Amino acid sequence: MSDYPQVLFKNRIPGQTVFLKGYEKTGGYEGLRIALRDTPQEVTEHVKNSGLRGRGGAGFPTGVKWSFFPVDEKGEKYLVCNGDEMEPGTYKDRLLILADPHQLVEGMIIAAYALQAPVGYIFLRYAYEDCSRVVAKAIAEAEAAGYLGRDILGSGFSFELHLHRSAGRYILGEETALLTGLEGRRPYPRAKPPFPAQSGLFGRPTNVNNVETFANVPHILRNGNAWYQELSGPENSPGTKLFGLSGHFKRTRCFELPLGITLREVVKEYGGGIRGGKRFKACLPGGASTPYLTADHLDVAMDFDPLEKVESRLGTAGVTAFDEDTCMLAVSCNVNRFFVRESCGWCTPCREGLQMVSWLLEKIEAGRGTEDDLTMLHDQYRNISGRSFCALAEGAMAPLGALLRLFEEELRDHIRQGSCPFV
Amino acid sequence: MPATEVNTMHDLLPKPEVEKLRAKAAEIDHPHEMIVDVLRAIQDHHGWVPDEGVQLTAAILGVTPVEVDELATFYDKIYRRPVGRKVIHVCDSVCCWATGTDKIVEHLRQQLGIDPGQTSADGMFTLLPTCCLGVCGDAPAMMIGLTTYGPLTVEDIDRILEQERRGATAAEKIDS
Amino acid sequence: MPKLTIDNREVTVPEETNVLEAARDLGIVIPHFCYHEALGAVGACRLCAMTFLEGPVEGVQMACMVKAEDGMVVSTLDEKAAELRRHVIEWSMMHHPHDCPVCDEGGECQLQDMTVAGGHGMRRYRGRKRTFRNQDLGPFVFQEMNRCITCYRCVRTYREYCGGTDFGVFGSRGRVFFGRLADGRLESPFSGNIIDVCPTGVFTDKVFRYTSRYWDLQEAPSICPHCSLGCATIPSARYRELQRVRSGINRETNGFFICDRGRFGFDYTNHAERPRQPRVDGQGTSMTQAVTAAERRIRETAERHGADSIIFLGSARASLEANALLARWAERFGCRQLSFEAHAERDRTARLVAARLGDRACSLADVRRSDLLVVIGADLLAEGPMAAVAVRQAARSGARVVVIDPRPIDLPCRFEHLAAEPARLAAILRGLASGQTKNLLERERPLVQPLLAAIRVAEAPVLLGGGDLLGHEGMGLLLDAAQALSPAERPVKLMAMLGGPNSYGGALLATAARDFDALLDQVREGSVKALVCLETDPFRDVCDPPRTQTALGHLDLLVVLDSVPGLAVQRADILLPTRAIAETDGCFVNNEGRLQAFRQVFDPGLPIRETGGGDHPPREFRTDTPGAAPEAAWRILARILGRKDHLPTIRQQLAAEDPRFRDLVFAEPGSKGSRLTAEASLPAKARVSLAEPAPGADTLPVLPVRTFAGADRLSHLSAPLQALASGPAVFLKPDLAERLGLTEGDGARLTTAEGHCRVVVHLDARMADNLILVPHLWDSALEGMVPGGRRIDGRLEKEEGS
Repeated sequence: MSDYPQVLFKNRIPGQTVFLKGYEKTGGYEGLRIALRDTPQEVTEHVKNSGLRGRGGAGFPTGVKWSFFPVDEKGEKYLVCNGDEMEPGTYKDRLLILADPHQLVEGMIIAAYALQAPVGYIFLRYAYEDCSRVVAKAIAEAEAAGYLGRDILGSGFSFELHLHRSAGRYILGEETALLTGLEGRRPYPRAKPPFPAQSGLFGRPTNVNNVETFANVPHILRNGNAWYQELSGPENSPGTKLFGLSGHFKRTRCFELPLGITLREVVKEYGGGIRGGKRFKACLPGGASTPYLTADHLDVAMDFDPLEKVESRLGTAGVTAFDEDTCMLAVSCNVNRFFVRESCGWCTPCREGLQMVSWLLEKIEAGRGTEDDLTMLHDQYRNISGRSFCALAEGAMAPLGALLRLFEEELRDHIRQGSCPFV
Repeated sequence: MPATEVNTMHDLLPKPEVEKLRAKAAEIDHPHEMIVDVLRAIQDHHGWVPDEGVQLTAAILGVTPVEVDELATFYDKIYRRPVGRKVIHVCDSVCCWATGTDKIVEHLRQQLGIDPGQTSADGMFTLLPTCCLGVCGDAPAMMIGLTTYGPLTVEDIDRILEQERRGATAAEKIDS
Repeated sequence: MPKLTIDNREVTVPEETNVLEAARDLGIVIPHFCYHEALGAVGACRLCAMTFLEGPVEGVQMACMVKAEDGMVVSTLDEKAAELRRHVIEWSMMHHPHDCPVCDEGGECQLQDMTVAGGHGMRRYRGRKRTFRNQDLGPFVFQEMNRCITCYRCVRTYREYCGGTDFGVFGSRGRVFFGRLADGRLESPFSGNIIDVCPTGVFTDKVFRYTSRYWDLQEAPSICPHCSLGCATIPSARYRELQRVRSGINRETNGFFICDRGRFGFDYTNHAERPRQPRVDGQGTSMTQAVTAAERRIRETAERHGADSIIFLGSARASLEANALLARWAERFGCRQLSFEAHAERDRTARLVAARLGDRACSLADVRRSDLLVVIGADLLAEGPMAAVAVRQAARSGARVVVIDPRPIDLPCRFEHLAAEPARLAAILRGLASGQTKNLLERERPLVQPLLAAIRVAEAPVLLGGGDLLGHEGMGLLLDAAQALSPAERPVKLMAMLGGPNSYGGALLATAARDFDALLDQVREGSVKALVCLETDPFRDVCDPPRTQTALGHLDLLVVLDSVPGLAVQRADILLPTRAIAETDGCFVNNEGRLQAFRQVFDPGLPIRETGGGDHPPREFRTDTPGAAPEAAWRILARILGRKDHLPTIRQQLAAEDPRFRDLVFAEPGSKGSRLTAEASLPAKARVSLAEPAPGADTLPVLPVRTFAGADRLSHLSAPLQALASGPAVFLKPDLAERLGLTEGDGARLTTAEGHCRVVVHLDARMADNLILVPHLWDSALEGMVPGGRRIDGRLEKEEGS
């Protein structure tokens, strides 16, 4: 448990799930009642003013995204929850659902009302069977209680919520690929524009948000923007954030912390430092698709904008730490392999280019690399970054770019020595 | 595929289940959205999805078999080749890798006498690597069937394998 | 119209044009794989990188994914874009085998070209290459998946564009497989297009495999002769052999694709029994002597028996020039016994269409742009396959497709089908023409009634009719309907499936009131003594072969000009072997009245494969070319007429003689052609009527229909297409079959006035009731049942012991 105010985790007892009764006891579904008293536009405006930023990785302001939605368009419109949490180092959504699933359900109902979308889907990854059982139960409870279904709480607004269990691929976390996957076609990402708000699921207006994003919404409605903005320091990044710690931390647990907390505090106070008394060497600050941070960055605020200033990203705030004995080239070999394996196969830079990167990384790691290979690695980085169809290869380039930027000497050591200095 | 042929596929999916899926498909506007659901249902029942399972899915949903297999071959957790009674997915993504996946895999190889991608001689376990399972706080981790285990030690594995083996045998007894 | 600057040159392009296309308009060709004009841009290959210097988007972008906008300043030469293109090429080549020396694509491989263009000359990747197990995709397409660069063009062509369902994308990540679920023949009748669109050697022409190198081929733009649509093709020949056909490009007609009949039907040109030796009275002779003999004996016949003792018979597969010269030959004697189609009903139908179509003429491009298509009495996949693909494009853009036809119609798109019996078509057409539905049946009205209103309000409605089933009378009613349903501001367009590639041209030339059936009566009576056949076989290509064959026995003189074997060739007193389409220049007029030219690809001669007996080089040395006697029909006729045998001159003469053909002078192979707005004379009144009398108590109407593979005699003579052939069969509705005690797969006996034959029974619930459908089958007992011919009744009984 962290020392900061707990919002999403306030009901959390590890190993237990709070269902409807417990949720209502702590103010659950009050946010929905408040929302239903307002017009949909007012709800969107409220969420916009709260400053909530998307928790899926990009940090785009949620209310702004909602304001692009064609609320008044006739015909089917969809609301989709992206619960395809497959980014290595990321497990916060799973814990959130397992702890207190109605936050997600209520958040989605409020969003559906704001966007006037009568149908919603919760898209869950294959491995989250435990979550899917919990979510199914929560949906059934909400339906039985009149929070879901026809004429919600006498408001005249109806919303049906479905659960979709996927079959295992990282690309489904890309929102357009997720929609194609939901439709039952090969889940390739789609070109934007048109954005999902114009043409999403089955070609209809669709809004996609992350699990944690939705879970914030009821609390914002219930407690107001002033309360929300006081949860954390930075003005443009209000609210708490789930930080899932992993790797070489002493404590690899998930904590709810205010945005803007320093990396040092995360490492020292919550991670408990590094296992075996070793020193912190580096970390992936927000999943495998974020650029490494090193001990030089310990005083950086863990927040969207400050991390971008040091050429990294907050991502999902799943912090994976590496100790001083870790070969960062070996880490990159592993991380890049992940992206090679999870490429959907649509565009050339991702499908083939990442294989080239893996071949080069592994060659250097094995001590067979040359200076030319290093140059070539730089070439690959330059020509894959920003050149692929979707963000997947872009994600792969994030740690690679940081490797080349922060650990070039380590790479050269491999080349000079003809072997990995850490073995 | 004619309905008569579909009815002979009980070993892939029990008839009531087929009818239930067929009825649901008839209700919705876009039956394609159920392809993954039907494939998973067949896999739950049959263990994996043979060619006939692709045909059956297509028949239930009124889509082409190609459209079904395009998805079945895309998703990692749809098995288009025979697997053991239980599939062990060992996570090899970065958090598990950093905390000792290699040792876990090595131990499983020795215990089961197989390499990743193979099925143990008794047909009980298939060993497959997997990307991140979303239990990074409990690394290193693996998933057997749909149950995740972690953080793992070499000692845990022997116990888990035994437990899973017994579970499979128990389930078998209930089935028969 | 956005104006942008690419490499310091300004270009103005229509809205919705992408920057790759805009650059192409300037003649700047940037390497690309996944973009294809017909398939659109999908941004998968990432090769067409350009650097956007000014405007709404900046930096390196995929030009195909960026719509041209005003004020854009784009560089294709910028090093950042060029560097990316080099990398994409290198990535594409990472797994590509170095088997170019034995790859059929070699020399015409886009990947090879782009590799050179992209400046990638050294392999740096030394990792493992992916390999696949190939599938046997049947007789037409060879698969070599290891060469694949995953551009997705094949599946977008096969499935999205052409509507095939048995081909897809499997696997993922670095292992993407394009193929079928399992080995087996690609089922789509448009399968060969993946050969054309594949930018490398994954899908190659199995018929052509290991035959020639691209740069050794003789090629020229041509027109497909296997139906009346006039699709653009590019035939390729080498060693006096026509070796393959690929699609040409004509944005007004077929676009970029052709059907497998058009692609693999060419082999009649190489037929071993093809007439190559001129012959007079059973004796081989020179062409000069045969031509002299023909001219003399026809003249003598005219002198002895009068001008009308000769019939001049042209055809829908002979060029416009040859048909026109045949007419001049008849005119020389004042002979009025002239027809351009032996199949009298097709003749009447084509003439009616040519006479009345006017501004209702509809191209395949118009079909693709339509929002409502009503297909009546036409099996597009058999009678004009690319029309089915065009209909699909309209449907993909949201068009409604309605089919009214007794057959179990297949189309590569969603459509509504009213399985009306043939005898009901006239009533339905009258209903459409009159707006009155009171004479319609209960099951017809719910479709037809609202359809009337839908056609009136549609933006670009098109009616498609099949000449064979509708005949002259039905086509007249369809034209009436089009006229009645057209508000003043936009005509309802109409496309008719006609008999052959030049049916329309023949119809324009026709002036005589009598059709070939009427002329045959005179043969029977004895007033006609001689028949001149231009590239047609009146023993088979007629409404009623048995009757015709008896009549033709009365002739004193049969002069035959033809390029393919047949009964007329066998029985000719004077045989003048002609060149096949790929061996000469000429023009066809397609079913919309579009005059299109084809260019000679090669000179005729016995293929070296034949003369050498498989050995090379041939062991027999001589100075002339064996089998080279065939001459272009127009040339033979020009000599007979004493005209200069120079095609441009002949075209000028014909254009001057008949201003309707003035565009002949400008006919340019490979162009989009020009639509003739010529007037044609109306045909004689039909002798058969759509409203057929009910057959006798124990017989049923028998409807012979064309099939995909054997719709025309030429494609039937093509060996590769034999792979699609099936045996004698009938189709009927299950409840009728039940009444007759028949089940699927039964052997049965079909008895008609001409006798009986054994057929296999197939059931299809989608077809009309009380009808026996007989797919026409050349060189079989069913050959005499000609689609669009006379009315046939028959009896179907289960064969004992089956």
